[in-house]
Amino acid sequence: MTTPMEQLDVAFPASLPEALALMANEATRGLPLAGGTDLMVQWESGARPVPVRAIDVKNLCELHVLRGENGMVVIGAGITHAALRRSELIRTAIPALAEAAATVGGGQIQAMGTIAGSIANASPAGDLAPTLLASEARVVVASVRGERELPLASFILGYRRIDLAPDELIVRFLVPARREGERELFRKLGPRAAQAISKIMGSYRGSVRDGVVASFAVALGSVAPTAIRLPEVERAVIGQPLNEATIARAEQVAAASVKPISDIRSTAEYRQWVSGRLVRGFLEHLAGRDAT
Amino acid sequence: MTTMKKIQRTWKINGESRTVQFPPARRLLDVLREDLDLKGTKEGCGEGECGACTVMINGELAVSCLLAAGQVRDGAEILTVEGLEKTPGGRLIQRSYLEKGAAQCGFCIPGMLVSSYAFLRRHPVVNEESIKDAHAGNICRCTGYVKIIEAVQAAAERWPADEGKPS
Repeated sequence: MTTPMEQLDVAFPASLPEALALMANEATRGLPLAGGTDLMVQWESGARPVPVRAIDVKNLCELHVLRGENGMVVIGAGITHAALRRSELIRTAIPALAEAAATVGGGQIQAMGTIAGSIANASPAGDLAPTLLASEARVVVASVRGERELPLASFILGYRRIDLAPDELIVRFLVPARREGERELFRKLGPRAAQAISKIMGSYRGSVRDGVVASFAVALGSVAPTAIRLPEVERAVIGQPLNEATIARAEQVAAASVKPISDIRSTAEYRQWVSGRLVRGFLEHLAGRDAT
Repeated sequence: MTTMKKIQRTWKINGESRTVQFPPARRLLDVLREDLDLKGTKEGCGEGECGACTVMINGELAVSCLLAAGQVRDGAEILTVEGLEKTPGGRLIQRSYLEKGAAQCGFCIPGMLVSSYAFLRRHPVVNEESIKDAHAGNICRCTGYVKIIEAVQAAAERWPADEGKPS
């Protein structure tokens, strides 16, 4: 059997510098291919044209770092969802990210798909983006011209668009580790637990001091062209007592502030309502009650 | 259409060294089934959803329909359903599926078996929930899940202590 991908040339650089050198030249650059869990499906189905060339970045060992340093977790671009969910460091420092990774596809997709692939695919339904946004992650991209570091929030430009120059590769993410007293949670709604793309999902990180919300960052996916933070909700709760009145207002603000669309996976009305319910669940979790 | 130049890879497949040439982005599934005549691995959906084409590469699961074979580097260890009989744990899982009658039409079973093997060789905490999680990427359209779960549970109880490594 011949598939469309058999017309695809693939370069197999042995190191990151070699990969960047290939990317630097228009005649040798290609689309970075890591786990293939998005690209191969899109190519095979015809949803996305097969490019002339791909660059295998799956095997670049420089992209497989995973370590903590100075309150920051450094996550290489090639770290898979399986590695994220298994990592003791991630489970302690960014538990919501481990949770999010564990809900992606099934074990096979988790072992193949990478953090950079999830972000570069820039689907609003990508499961890792909300947690990374809520934890104020930064992205480091590299080219032969050098490295560039920017907030993930600025890196994601729009629906399936990221701020990556043709000669650049995503090399790592810098994610602030949870600080003392900070709680976080990832929640996702889909038609079934595994192998289903989210209808809506989200994540928060926050803290309470003396019954008052000291910090609260919340981000949702599948309610806008990209995963988004909800600044109106954050403003509505920070500095407020963490009680039912605050939670009820946050739920209302969340439902009113998102502008989702109806598509094959859900309706706009449902997503608005669930946005409110998710925010309520997050604040109840922050208050020490079980999320509903 | 032009013919893409072929690349060569030498892998250890089911414990045996095999060398094969193919266009770099040919699906591993096609290389296994057609170039290497390992027909145990099945193509179900071809989109990474059903898990029928599941194989293990260097200890990690993969759906071979979404993997450009060239990305599997020289020296990689690939385990397909055909390789299970070569290990005590693999034989145990196969026997356990048989004893529990876990196969109905059987199409999903090669992928299920490989997922079961990858799961048990990590010496995980085995309960219904962890078994379901470990097989979440394998879909059985006969919906014969109960017996599959029972088979994995039964294999776990007799799992060889020296096979695989802790998760």
